[in-house]
Amino acid sequence: MQTTSERIGSASPVFGNGQRANRLKTTKQGGKLVNDYWSDLFAAKDDGRKVIWYNGTYIPPFFHAHDVAWVHGEAWAAYLAAKHGELPAQAAGELRGYDRELCSYARTHIGQALIDLRDLKEGKLGIAPDDPRALTMAKLPPPDMLINAYPYCSSGQQWDEITYRLFGKRIPIFNVSIPLLWGGRPDAAYLRGEEWNERSQYVAKQLRAMCAFIEEHTGRKYDWDRLSEVMGFVKKAATLRLEAMDLCSAHPAPASFFDWIVSIAHVNFLPGTQSIVDYFQAVKDEIAERVANGEGAVRDEKYRLFFDGMMNWNKVGWLADKFASVGAAVVAGRYTHMSFWQEPELIDLRDPVLGMAQNYLICPNNHGAPIMIGEINKLCDKFDIDGMVMHASRTCRGMTNSQFLIADSAKRHGRQALFFEGDVADESFYKDEMLNTRLEAMIETMDARRRAA
Amino acid sequence: MEDIFAAFEQAALRPLAYAREWKRTHDSRVVGIFPMHFPGELAHAAGALPIVLQEDQEPITIGLSALFNFYCGYNRSIVDQALRGEFEFLDAILFGDHCVQLLGTADILREHAPQPPILFNQLISSLSAPWAEEETRKAFAQTWKELETLVGHAITPDDVRASIRLHNRNRALIREIYQLRREGRIALSGRGLQLIVKSSMTMDTSAHTALLERFLAEVATRSPALRGVRVYLSGHLCQAPKPEILDLIEECGGVVVDDDLFHGFRFVATDIDETGDPLDALARWHLARNRRVPCPTLTDEKADWDQFLLGAVARSKAQGLIVMQVKYCEPHMFFYPEIKEAFERAGVPHLLVETEHEQMPMEALKTRLETFMEIVKRRAAA
Repeated sequence: MQTTSERIGSASPVFGNGQRANRLKTTKQGGKLVNDYWSDLFAAKDDGRKVIWYNGTYIPPFFHAHDVAWVHGEAWAAYLAAKHGELPAQAAGELRGYDRELCSYARTHIGQALIDLRDLKEGKLGIAPDDPRALTMAKLPPPDMLINAYPYCSSGQQWDEITYRLFGKRIPIFNVSIPLLWGGRPDAAYLRGEEWNERSQYVAKQLRAMCAFIEEHTGRKYDWDRLSEVMGFVKKAATLRLEAMDLCSAHPAPASFFDWIVSIAHVNFLPGTQSIVDYFQAVKDEIAERVANGEGAVRDEKYRLFFDGMMNWNKVGWLADKFASVGAAVVAGRYTHMSFWQEPELIDLRDPVLGMAQNYLICPNNHGAPIMIGEINKLCDKFDIDGMVMHASRTCRGMTNSQFLIADSAKRHGRQALFFEGDVADESFYKDEMLNTRLEAMIETMDARRRAA
Repeated sequence: MEDIFAAFEQAALRPLAYAREWKRTHDSRVVGIFPMHFPGELAHAAGALPIVLQEDQEPITIGLSALFNFYCGYNRSIVDQALRGEFEFLDAILFGDHCVQLLGTADILREHAPQPPILFNQLISSLSAPWAEEETRKAFAQTWKELETLVGHAITPDDVRASIRLHNRNRALIREIYQLRREGRIALSGRGLQLIVKSSMTMDTSAHTALLERFLAEVATRSPALRGVRVYLSGHLCQAPKPEILDLIEECGGVVVDDDLFHGFRFVATDIDETGDPLDALARWHLARNRRVPCPTLTDEKADWDQFLLGAVARSKAQGLIVMQVKYCEPHMFFYPEIKEAFERAGVPHLLVETEHEQMPMEALKTRLETFMEIVKRRAAA
């Protein structure tokens, strides 16, 4: 058994029984695909490719089909965080006056854009020019185009507006409006109704206009056949991912929410090629093998939880181990299980744009609460969930908006719920001991309920 | 004059009480509107009293059971009022703004306070898009249709044009007051001007317009302008600044000569075309008003809030800018650094004041305001 100091040294929480999460092996292979993507991106200017900075939903297949490189602002912020480079970027943002209550993705991304080589050379931000963090920051190719396509979140649109202004309004920008599916009309339902049909056509129209914008700024005709080809890979990968997720209804759950979290990049912004199909096939195979062997993502699984809210990217491994150490398998989550090509069957490969638009519209936040919560409850039933972990991500209000309603609904369905505060990319909002106390209390309650049953 | 302000005060400070009484005496409908971009004209044309739903001054208690404390005071107050049952007498709420916090608030109201229903039709916030006008028109057309269902009768284009004319008249009179104030021809405190604009968001527009006409007739013979450091107020979207803060600015030697507040010039800056198709007119108005007074909740390649403010400060001959930023207001937080830098480059003194729903440390604010006024005076004397 590990000693306390050993556990601290291994960067795992000193909590519970010391057991760590039994991570999928294939997700390590997935890391190579992510690194390849970044390496390719950093070489984009050398290859003469145009670069699009974008934010919002998973539109890269449109870029991939046109052979331009792309930078997802959120992913770049997460990348910096993984390289421990988010703090200087956030400090640069704060120095300009961006309040720390603003979206920390945006603060990191905008802050990073503020750090140019001149500042680094002059040491204005306290980073030496040869600091590895500085070298990482200097690699990002500047944009030739900006595209914003944020469902639901107004801050996401404002973030790109600020980026546009930071570059002196010289970089062309295109906004795709993805309106909320409020679900107030009498025929409103999941993927149905007048509002759904109108909004689907509206977003599809804008996506086609976005391609015309890309054509205009690259001087090349858009290749719609190539889009169908790229989407063929994406659709296959998405289908495999969903099939693999379905296998996790097994007891014990063979993979956890945290395994799906580290596989987000592959469905979110990696190129649509055979590589992502192979990746999710490998993930599915490993999960199927675990099911056959009765192997769980958590050893001695006692409880099954649902993670609501945006991920706390500074704490992925930490949280995976924390929940594992109390025998809690976090089986599913709103962020992982209700987004990223969630309805691949909607995509007609002969003309994929409408189906793509519809997948963007059903980002879970982009549903009014009644329909969204109905879908959450279906997932909780499917995965036999005992309780909800509500991550109140301080600066991501798009995700915190309906959390009290979600928790209320869960309780009505006999599930426990706990809240903890953290953030997407600003670690200072996370309070470990608060989560410990609340998790212990929830475990106690679930145990008591089982004893009473 | 006192009776005019008493009427303004009644509607501005107790808007829900005013609206309840109006509903009782008129035996008609009251429709709430969430800020900041939805016009009242359609609801008025339907025969209802449109009122902009306001932050109230009550401490937020039960509302925190449904919304986190890191949301702006407006959203927390609206949720709190809804959970206290304050909005039950409303017949509907119109909503269509793209504010992530307000979208969440609307869902909380739908769950916990389902009466009144929310007629939600989202307005485009990306105003440079080629389809911006067409989509705005569709949103208003759908609202029109839903209001007809609510009231049970048709709303004719002539009805809407008549409402537009009335509201234009009301806005024009308030703008006239602004112009007199800018030119130093009338003495009107910040508190007084807020009462005028805020009451226009609640009061029966015909009655309010009649009071404005009386006010303008009487004010011309009144005292000369207030004297002091001329300041311009900016920001404070959605909710009105606390009147105590406006008073404090004046106590510290300032005179507010102009503003771009929502409970100020922003609300009355732009008129709607009274001729032609009212849906076209409403759609064009949504786009035009951002060019007139840029709003950080909207993206528009041709609008620059910082440049607008520099121009507005110069035109009003203000000597300094006070930016009033509501805590947790994300759009304002995004744009504030540009404003700060623009004013620093231009050498125009400016001060950021962060405001909260809860009580603020007024003594500390007083010290900052006094210092700011001294800086402005020394800069002017140099």
